[in-house]
Amino acid sequence: MDNLYLFAILAGTRVAVEASEVEAVVKLTDISPVPGMGAHVAGLSALRSRVLTIVDVAAIVHGLPTPSDRRGLAIIADISGHSYGLMLDSVLDICRVPEGAAPLRGQLDRSWSPYASAVVEYDGHPWLLVSLPAFIDGASAAQAA
Amino acid sequence: MDELLQEFISETQETLEALAGEVVAWEADPSDRDRLDAIFRFFHTVKGSCGFLNLPRFERLSHAAEDVLADIRAGERQPDPATVSAVLGLMDRIGELTEAVAMGAALPNENDDYLIAALHARPDAGALEAPAADAAQGAAAPASVARAQASQAAPRTIRLPLSLIDQLMNGVSDMVLARNEMSRKLRERSNDAELDTVFERLSTCVADMRDVISKTRMQRVDRLFAAIPRMVRDLGRDLGKRIDLTLEGGDVEMDREMVEMVVDPLTHIVRNSIDHGIETPERRRAAGKPEAGRLRVEARQSGNQIVIMISDDGAGIDTGRLVDKAIAAGRLTADAAARMTEQEKLDLIFMAGLSTAQQVTAISGRGVGMDVVRANVERIGGLISLENHPGQGLCITLRVPLTLTIIPGLIVRAGGQHFAIPRAAVVEILHDNNDMLQISEVGGAKIATIRAVRHSMVDLEAVLGMEKEPQRVPRAIMVVRSSTGMPFALGVAAVDNHEELVIRPASPLVMASGVYAGMTLPDNGRPMLLLDAAGLASVARLPDVVEDDAARRQEEESEAAGVEMVAALRFEELSGERRLLKLSLIERVEDIDTSLFGRSGGQAFVRLDGRLITVVNGYSTFAGDKVCALRLRDGEQETCYPVAAVLDIVQMPLVPDMVALHGLLSGVSVIDGEHLEVLSPFALFASLPQERPDPARQGRCILVESEDGWTREILAPLLRQAGHDVTLGLPAEAPVDPRDIILCNGPDTAQAGEMLGCRVVQLRASPRAAGPQDGSIYRYDQDALMAAIGGRQG
Repeated sequence: MDNLYLFAILAGTRVAVEASEVEAVVKLTDISPVPGMGAHVAGLSALRSRVLTIVDVAAIVHGLPTPSDRRGLAIIADISGHSYGLMLDSVLDICRVPEGAAPLRGQLDRSWSPYASAVVEYDGHPWLLVSLPAFIDGASAAQAA
Repeated sequence: MDELLQEFISETQETLEALAGEVVAWEADPSDRDRLDAIFRFFHTVKGSCGFLNLPRFERLSHAAEDVLADIRAGERQPDPATVSAVLGLMDRIGELTEAVAMGAALPNENDDYLIAALHARPDAGALEAPAADAAQGAAAPASVARAQASQAAPRTIRLPLSLIDQLMNGVSDMVLARNEMSRKLRERSNDAELDTVFERLSTCVADMRDVISKTRMQRVDRLFAAIPRMVRDLGRDLGKRIDLTLEGGDVEMDREMVEMVVDPLTHIVRNSIDHGIETPERRRAAGKPEAGRLRVEARQSGNQIVIMISDDGAGIDTGRLVDKAIAAGRLTADAAARMTEQEKLDLIFMAGLSTAQQVTAISGRGVGMDVVRANVERIGGLISLENHPGQGLCITLRVPLTLTIIPGLIVRAGGQHFAIPRAAVVEILHDNNDMLQISEVGGAKIATIRAVRHSMVDLEAVLGMEKEPQRVPRAIMVVRSSTGMPFALGVAAVDNHEELVIRPASPLVMASGVYAGMTLPDNGRPMLLLDAAGLASVARLPDVVEDDAARRQEEESEAAGVEMVAALRFEELSGERRLLKLSLIERVEDIDTSLFGRSGGQAFVRLDGRLITVVNGYSTFAGDKVCALRLRDGEQETCYPVAAVLDIVQMPLVPDMVALHGLLSGVSVIDGEHLEVLSPFALFASLPQERPDPARQGRCILVESEDGWTREILAPLLRQAGHDVTLGLPAEAPVDPRDIILCNGPDTAQAGEMLGCRVVQLRASPRAAGPQDGSIYRYDQDALMAAIGGRQG
């Protein structure tokens, strides 16, 4: 909890991710699709000798898959022993916010509510603080449904 | 402090594991001073360390045990069964406490006094009330343990965290990928011989390194065996049975994870054996067997498999009762039962919830859980088989792959993407223009009829929801068998390749789809998914209905016609002839770089997987870069047979239509109106250079039916190769020596042979015994045949 956050645009929304959850941000090159899966799993990608399961966050949150030409960056995270890549639109900064997370105010869009619990104030804007494992849980739930 | 504690815990756990067997062995032979000393040392060490680490309960327990053991060492007390039980009880408690400390849990607060009291209770003091001593009241004699390998001096070792090894492993994998990419780049641009040499050297280093690192994953099977002596002893005690346990092959190594996976099935089988297989001493005496039952657990490596055999000389499985139970449970009709073969009846033991045990005991009900055992073994790509001798014993064989992570797989293409499928799951591969295959469609269901057997058929693209790409070449149809369900036909665009695949678990998200079993990263760096045959069938909702009638009818027909048919590969020799070879000998067909072939000392060889393999037909130079080669294996030996082309798979009669012994050939068969020469499998392997010990043989092998083609062209060369003196036909003038052995096919000749006063080995053409009284040997069971001849001569 050193209040270090990664600020990024994820599924069209400003979000902050705790830096401890992030292993790296990489540019995706080659995604092998996984047929028979919903849109929330974009495919597999190799990062050196690791195989990442690439998760389409936009598909999980809004149900709209990201078109393949806009698949650029991904956050690499290790979630319960497996390596995932969460696709994001763009990365702005990694920055320390001494005040830390602030409670959420206002009515959060229902599609975001499972993933965000607080906001982080940065650069004069509020950023939704999201947790990466929640997206994976969300994807599993989407699959079960 | 934490570090010291951690060290203490892992050391104690390790010693405990190793000691469990020692205590039992010591009980069997109380005069064994070395073992007593080892146990004493353990308690002494624990006592010393825990005084320092402030663990009073440990200290108290170990102190009590140490006292008693010291008495025994001084000869003031005898290590009677009650004492040993009490010592074991203390060791268990220490184990529990260690675990509690390791997990940081509260120590289970049971009264240690009981255990200590049990230890001090003199056997002559009479009543033993302590729970740990209860078991000792059964007056059964101690189980004795014989280890085939004397304990050797342990090699020097260090302790390493697993994560470090995994890291190393990943690092090496990265290195291999980087090397592959570099090799591609090098091929593209430079033509620099010097650079290539350097790169070649780097390549070899990386490959060596990968080999060494993979060895760190290996563990001795000893670990798997460690718990068995203790379990056998305790169970024997509880049940009042005497058991002679033999453990063999503890030095065989297998993958660490694999050891973990095999522990449960093995434990279950051993429990079953003791509870239901081996009878009580009284009953054994009545049956004329030695009072102590024999239980043998043996591990050995065979190719890339570990074979674990668990055999006992108990009652075996009563298949009649099994069938009755199955009928009573409504799982089988009486009609179907009447048609079943002995082996099929035996297989009922794997049916869920069926048991031959009169009553289910606390220990096991044989059959209860055998379905689970099989499922567990098959889940790790293993096989389980039973060999039942009613009244004589049971032998259960587990075959598991050497590692969990590397499996032979086929690479298939569908919808423009590549997938892997375990080779073990694929029964056969056909092209959809093959005459033997007929695909019909009705009401959306696809049915593939292959040689009169109807299979459900699905296209992989359809199951996975992909587009089927148009193609000009015929599609490939694979007959796929999952471990549990029915075989089904799976259509794919093409079967591309055969590879050893390093399998890693896929993320839960991907696994949830139900059709994938894992993933792999081939050298091209594009991740590939491993298909799960059972999952595909269930996702495609294929009916799981047994249809054995067609197969059975066909089998009956061919048997009625008196000609046994076997699958054979039709291929074209490099010299242009078309020939046949029994399919079961062919391990795989592959395209091999011609540069790997060479010749030395008149013998052609090929370098494959880092080994030199003999080329049996002697070719070493070819036109072109690649040559298609059959890789043959007879169980132990491997050889390579380059051919011009592989044509197809056909059914050929087991005995060729015309027998003609000539070099590697055994005769000529007519298939679809074409005369094809048949390669003789025995001659093929017999011609391999090898050093075979030639034990002094006494008698001759007399082959009575000298006119029989099979005897002449297959059996005789085999026996000669094994160093036997072979005579065809009954010798006319020389009288038959009692040391001679008569080999024959029919029961009447067997009788005739017995009248001559010498031993007879009767062979049969069918793999199945005609009945329990049938003492004959299946004629392609080379091991049994050799054992019978060797045994009868000795």
